[in-house]
Amino acid sequence: MTKLKPGKLVTSLAAATLLSTGAIQVSADEHPIKLGAIYILSGSAATYGQFAQRGIDLAISEINGNGGVLGRDLELAIEDSQGKAAVAIQAARKLVYEDEVDVLMGLDSSGVAQGLVPTIPELQKPLIITHAATPDVTGNLCNAFTFRISTNVAQNMNAAAQIAAESDANRWTTIGPDYAFGHQSWEFFGNALKDLKPDVELMEDTAFPRFGAEDFTPFINGVMDSDAEGVLISLWGGDLVNFVRQATNLGFFEKDLELMFTVGAATEVLTALEDRMPEGVWLATRYWYDAYDNEINKNFVKAYIDAYGNPPSYNAEGAYAAVYAYKKAMETTGNTDGPALAKTLKGMSFDAPNGKVTFRAGDHQAMVSPNWGRSGPMHPEHGIRTLEDLRIFDAEKVSRTVAETGCTF
Amino acid sequence: MKSAILLGALVLTVILLIALPWVVPYFYIFIGTEILIMGLFAASFNLVFGYTGMLSFGHAAFFGIGTYATAMLLLHLQWPLLACLLVSMGMGALLALVIGFLSVRLNEVYFAMLTLAFGMMVFSIAHMWRSVTNGSDGIAGFTLGAFGLGIDLTLGNPAVYYHVVLAIVIVASLVLYLICRSSFGLILQAIRQNAERVSFCGLNIRLYRLAAFTISGAFAGLAGGMMAPFLRVASPEMMHWSTSAEPVLMSILGGTGYFLGPYVGSALFVLLETWITSVTQAWMLFLGIVLALMVMFFRRGILGTFLDWWLDKK
Repeated sequence: MTKLKPGKLVTSLAAATLLSTGAIQVSADEHPIKLGAIYILSGSAATYGQFAQRGIDLAISEINGNGGVLGRDLELAIEDSQGKAAVAIQAARKLVYEDEVDVLMGLDSSGVAQGLVPTIPELQKPLIITHAATPDVTGNLCNAFTFRISTNVAQNMNAAAQIAAESDANRWTTIGPDYAFGHQSWEFFGNALKDLKPDVELMEDTAFPRFGAEDFTPFINGVMDSDAEGVLISLWGGDLVNFVRQATNLGFFEKDLELMFTVGAATEVLTALEDRMPEGVWLATRYWYDAYDNEINKNFVKAYIDAYGNPPSYNAEGAYAAVYAYKKAMETTGNTDGPALAKTLKGMSFDAPNGKVTFRAGDHQAMVSPNWGRSGPMHPEHGIRTLEDLRIFDAEKVSRTVAETGCTF
Repeated sequence: MKSAILLGALVLTVILLIALPWVVPYFYIFIGTEILIMGLFAASFNLVFGYTGMLSFGHAAFFGIGTYATAMLLLHLQWPLLACLLVSMGMGALLALVIGFLSVRLNEVYFAMLTLAFGMMVFSIAHMWRSVTNGSDGIAGFTLGAFGLGIDLTLGNPAVYYHVVLAIVIVASLVLYLICRSSFGLILQAIRQNAERVSFCGLNIRLYRLAAFTISGAFAGLAGGMMAPFLRVASPEMMHWSTSAEPVLMSILGGTGYFLGPYVGSALFVLLETWITSVTQAWMLFLGIVLALMVMFFRRGILGTFLDWWLDKK
């Protein structure tokens, strides 16, 4: 047993005080700005979360390498939504109250977004949605703290309807996941197509397999036995990969059908399918890495391929752009206060890989266009299908008007 | 002497629970709310399992219908919360009465399988009846209005809502405890120990079992109702059999032999889940290991093992 002398105690206490005050001063200067992200990191759609995280990591390392934001480094805290609204709501609370993040971003699923978005004003932190596409969150569920940087279902389906109206197909049906995204895709597509081409027939016979279903055979057979001429396919992630494999085996792609995959050009899916993704079908994506000829995009695509070996997906781009949007908002505001940032983001324009992007003041939806193209030959280096006849639409024209969104703040 | 210490410990726990929002980090208010709600759910389940000896594997149906009832009333009619919760309780009881009527005649594994089957049936209805339940997206986007009885509370404030849940759980648990201690509760325990002997006494076992099952469904519905304003969403997953497994695991973790066992189990379950998932995604693996060890070495659960040891001690 060593006895502690009073003199020694005083010295060590003094030393400890000195050390701790020193530490506090250091942390006050270099206290990082925390980004809280919520993505699907497990299950059949886990690659989406993984690609988004790559986009965030890339943006953070670029920004921190150039002196950070407001002289502070950026830091990421990421949580798994498991594609479930209840899990995502808990994750958001954990990020804000436990990890003390300054801002929120992410969300891969429409169902998750519909559940989480109404709770965001309580957290008093802005949320930039980078993937989930349900029109509701920039529509009747909109609020002062929620923004979306990616294309929504309404924008994508207005564009899809233009392509569908130009085709010869007159009888349309759909195969989509059995939740908000699948149902809303069909609803918006149908309404837009009817406006453009009143004599088309929207079939009563539609297929909505459960999200994460393994076996799509009955749904594929159902469409093949019907007299449909065009099919809108809004399956995504692991579902889409399984669907294409099974459809190939059943001879689905040999039938003379106009096929439109609403999120088929996700590089997550194209990488998994390689040349099993058929040629000559319409594929859409919120962002195609080869579609934009500007410096930011060139640098982004190159840095991404150098770092990870394959081209960036729309989810990676959305996440990457959201970090830069927050950077600009924080620098404009001069601090990281949640309500102040939300005010700055409203109507803010910034440069992203897909050009100049503006969060429309009326509904907080980014004015962006989907990219549609026909699948072409395999890319010699990237190991995925190329896109031909690439179509980029006028964002203002494919977006709903603010009045149509039903959004009021 | 020992009962005085137990009572003191209980009072101290309640005081600590009331003071919780002022002493723990903000995030733990959410953890506390979840523990209380799931604790009541597990305790309602334990009335059927620990007291009456029937392993129900479909309790998520009653819990989930409670969540849907409150969520839909808040969404469409903006009723005060207290009224919503009473409806949730009624819906839980009604559904339990129907499922119980068809199930309680069977014993052991057959009863467990039948409740599992009915539970999954209810899950499928919630999942597929899109026009009413909004399918797999569930009911979301509702706002929290008044509490009821003219009491002015901001339910959206997590600390306020925690105290609301705490008050309701304490009252509901007291009622549940009195039921367990009543002569009715004693008959339930007798049925667990020896059903034949009870029936030879001239008591209608099926009726007692059905009553226990219905009461249990009512409290599960109440717990589910409180979940709606907390989670802000009612989704079919809450009726899935994996949700039915949670009160089973909680009761076993805490101990089925004591009234408060399920509450302790709920606290352990939720805390372990929170801590382990922040380190690794493989939370179920750890839960499996903990459960296997519990069943092998502490069959009476954490609280049960401790109280057995302490009460036996001189």
